[in-house]
Amino acid sequence: MLSYFFRRLFFVVFVVWGVTFATFFIANVVPIDPAIAALGDNAREEQIREFRERYGLDKPIWQQYLIYMGRLLSGDLGNSLRTQRPVVEDLKEFFPATLELSVAAFLVTLLLGVPAGILAALQQNKATDVTVRILALIGGATPVFFLAVLLQYVLARQLDLLPVQGRLDGFTFPPPRLTGLMGLDALLARDWAAFVDSLRHLVLPAFVLGLFSAAILARMTRATMLEVLSQDYIRTARAKGVPGRGVIFRHALKNASLPVLTLLGGLLGGLLSGAVLTETIFSWPGIGRYVTQSATSLDFPAVMGVTLLVGLVYALINLIVDLLYAFLDPRIRYA
Amino acid sequence: MKLFKLVAAIAALSLGGSLAQDRTQTLIYGGDWSDLITMDPQVSYEFSGGLVTDNLYETLVKYEGADLSTLKPGLAESWKVDRGRDSWEITFRLRRGSKFSSGNEVTAKDVVYTFERALAIKGPGSFLFTEIAQLKPGATKAVDNYTVVVSIPKTASPGSFLSILTFNIGGIVDSETVQKNAKGNDFGKEWLTNNSAGSGPFRLVRWDRGSQVLLEANPNARIKPKLQRVILREIKEPAVLRTALESGEIDIAEGLTPEALRALAGNNRFRTLKADSLRLNYLGMNVKEGSPFANKLVRDAVRYSINQDELVNGLVQGNGTKTQTLIPKGLLGYDPRTPYTFDPARAKRLLAQAGYPNGLEFELLVSTGICGGGIPCADIAAKIQSDFAKSGLKANVKAIANAEVLRTYRAQNHQMVLVGWSPDFPDPDGNATPWANFEARSLAWRNVWNDPTAIRLTNQAALETEPAKRVALYRLLTDYVLKNGPYAVLYQPAVPLGLSVKVEGYVRNAQGQVRFENISKLP
Repeated sequence: MLSYFFRRLFFVVFVVWGVTFATFFIANVVPIDPAIAALGDNAREEQIREFRERYGLDKPIWQQYLIYMGRLLSGDLGNSLRTQRPVVEDLKEFFPATLELSVAAFLVTLLLGVPAGILAALQQNKATDVTVRILALIGGATPVFFLAVLLQYVLARQLDLLPVQGRLDGFTFPPPRLTGLMGLDALLARDWAAFVDSLRHLVLPAFVLGLFSAAILARMTRATMLEVLSQDYIRTARAKGVPGRGVIFRHALKNASLPVLTLLGGLLGGLLSGAVLTETIFSWPGIGRYVTQSATSLDFPAVMGVTLLVGLVYALINLIVDLLYAFLDPRIRYA
Repeated sequence: MKLFKLVAAIAALSLGGSLAQDRTQTLIYGGDWSDLITMDPQVSYEFSGGLVTDNLYETLVKYEGADLSTLKPGLAESWKVDRGRDSWEITFRLRRGSKFSSGNEVTAKDVVYTFERALAIKGPGSFLFTEIAQLKPGATKAVDNYTVVVSIPKTASPGSFLSILTFNIGGIVDSETVQKNAKGNDFGKEWLTNNSAGSGPFRLVRWDRGSQVLLEANPNARIKPKLQRVILREIKEPAVLRTALESGEIDIAEGLTPEALRALAGNNRFRTLKADSLRLNYLGMNVKEGSPFANKLVRDAVRYSINQDELVNGLVQGNGTKTQTLIPKGLLGYDPRTPYTFDPARAKRLLAQAGYPNGLEFELLVSTGICGGGIPCADIAAKIQSDFAKSGLKANVKAIANAEVLRTYRAQNHQMVLVGWSPDFPDPDGNATPWANFEARSLAWRNVWNDPTAIRLTNQAALETEPAKRVALYRLLTDYVLKNGPYAVLYQPAVPLGLSVKVEGYVRNAQGQVRFENISKLP
């Protein structure tokens, strides 16, 4: 098991290095000058020259890459051209918001997707199944911005049930920033009002973001459940009198969970890499919005930083999924 | 969800918690503040940065309300400009009893420290001091606790210097507090990025990047604000800005779309505003040798081929002012006359005279982004293209990323560009020098327009201290550039705003400055 873990870990390092290599060179083939993008129209020639020197943009690209990698190994992601501070600081500032939203959206995904999939499989071709399938189709096909603006208009503006945007009401004094997770910070400060307010602000974006994944998950769960339910051992279990619930949860679900797990890993990784549209529409200060702003101003240290972080998150999630696989299916451990 | 509200209400009441604030004492101002980089007045050079620092720091002199042509006393109760032998001597008398948020009194040493700090830090706006005002280290001297004398060379314009002082960079910092928080040689730059040390009516409490900036009344300030708290809420998406305003989450929405503005205008809970800006959207024509625009007749033909009325009232939906000269409305020397009318027949004749009887084909570069007034630049280019076609001008519109447009423009590699310009400081020279002085290596240089008359008039007007004479000189200059220059000004965009009717006392000047201390909120 341990050697399996280390083999996987080595793979993670390799993937992350590949990510730095690819993004660095992609960022540098863009023909636009980052100095002009950062300084704007009124900038003087001296300012532009100084800027290029300060950020090493005047050096040949392979030298820039070596400098970058050298710094990276000591944990320095460089300075953002746009915010003019260490990229690490920016990530610390913006990633918690994305983490908070992703976890909430992931809960929505799990709570909607899995039960809906199971229900549909058990009621195959009946009304419930058809309803779930249609809803999953709609959920998977509705553009995020459309759904977000629609819900904002109906639930927030017309019915005044939930807030339109942000992580906290403007009139609520924010709790001291410890973790950057608004809800947790509010709890740590024992500020119940802020805690409740932060939860209310989380509902709409988490639902919008989670619905798409939930739709995919529901379809996947349904399909694998159907496949498992048609297996001989299920028939055997039923024949020997195991109660219906036991068959579904102990035998069918555990076996159906392997492909679902792979999908969940991918979905969580996707959520954690920052949802540009959702974050923009809900004014959510996460890395998705950060990276779009950085990309449009050609701030490639920032773009590289986010890409690296996302690459790392993906690699780690895959590692965890692999380990869970081995845990769920002993055959994988010994293969 | 009702349950949520109930729980929230109970929690707030039982804990005396943070929800139980007086809503009339808090103003929430929504807009796209994503350009915020720092709260340090000597480093900040962004629009949003100016909006914030202007309320945290006081300047020696300032503009009041929407008027950007008359200087008013700030920290200095009076000032005078003397013509020395080889320099201008500007003397400021500070008023007594102004205090920083720390409780320290504002004295001459703080002014000296601030100016030297600006020169040492070399922030993006420092060229205003070093190049425009030609201010040198050691040129600012404290005569006594309440008197400061600044010497600038005779070649610099005292009028420009004074107007620069109203800007972020002129915000006086508390030298004791800043020095206490300085790290090594950084003049407190790192600390002032996230903290404030000013004598303005507000102090910075907290800045959550990408989310909001929280300001609270400065208890020691001379100017007492009507509100206790101001929050700048970052909302980038115009549609969300509107929904947030309508649902009461924000009190002011800056940067609405023309459609949202129209919709809000019909609702009696809100009022709408088209605030002036100093921006000019214009066409720049490269007049280098061999270019068709090198011929003045062709440039005139271009100016007669734009249906400005249709552009401003139709496409821009009134979110802008029709103007033609290089000084925008709101600054000294603005000329409201618009002598160029849409006249395709005349344009055709001019083109024929210039040797293009069958019309002229050229490339028009434009950004893929949004131009002033909330309209995609490409839409404006398309409108101009169709106007041009009526006089035989065939513009091939090429829409590329803004940074790429600027790169091409700065390298003098364009034929015609559609871009915008805002002055760096609210003085006519902030436009005149870049637009008319080839030697400044700005817009005139980019369009390869090297005109001795324009350069002479620009320098003369910049150094004139008598306002009436200055206006007369700018009248001559703007008229000259209008008829001979490489530009066709399209319009001066406005900033569309929506406000709750409960908000009173809101004024935004064309530099984007808003004095929060004058704003109050009805229950």
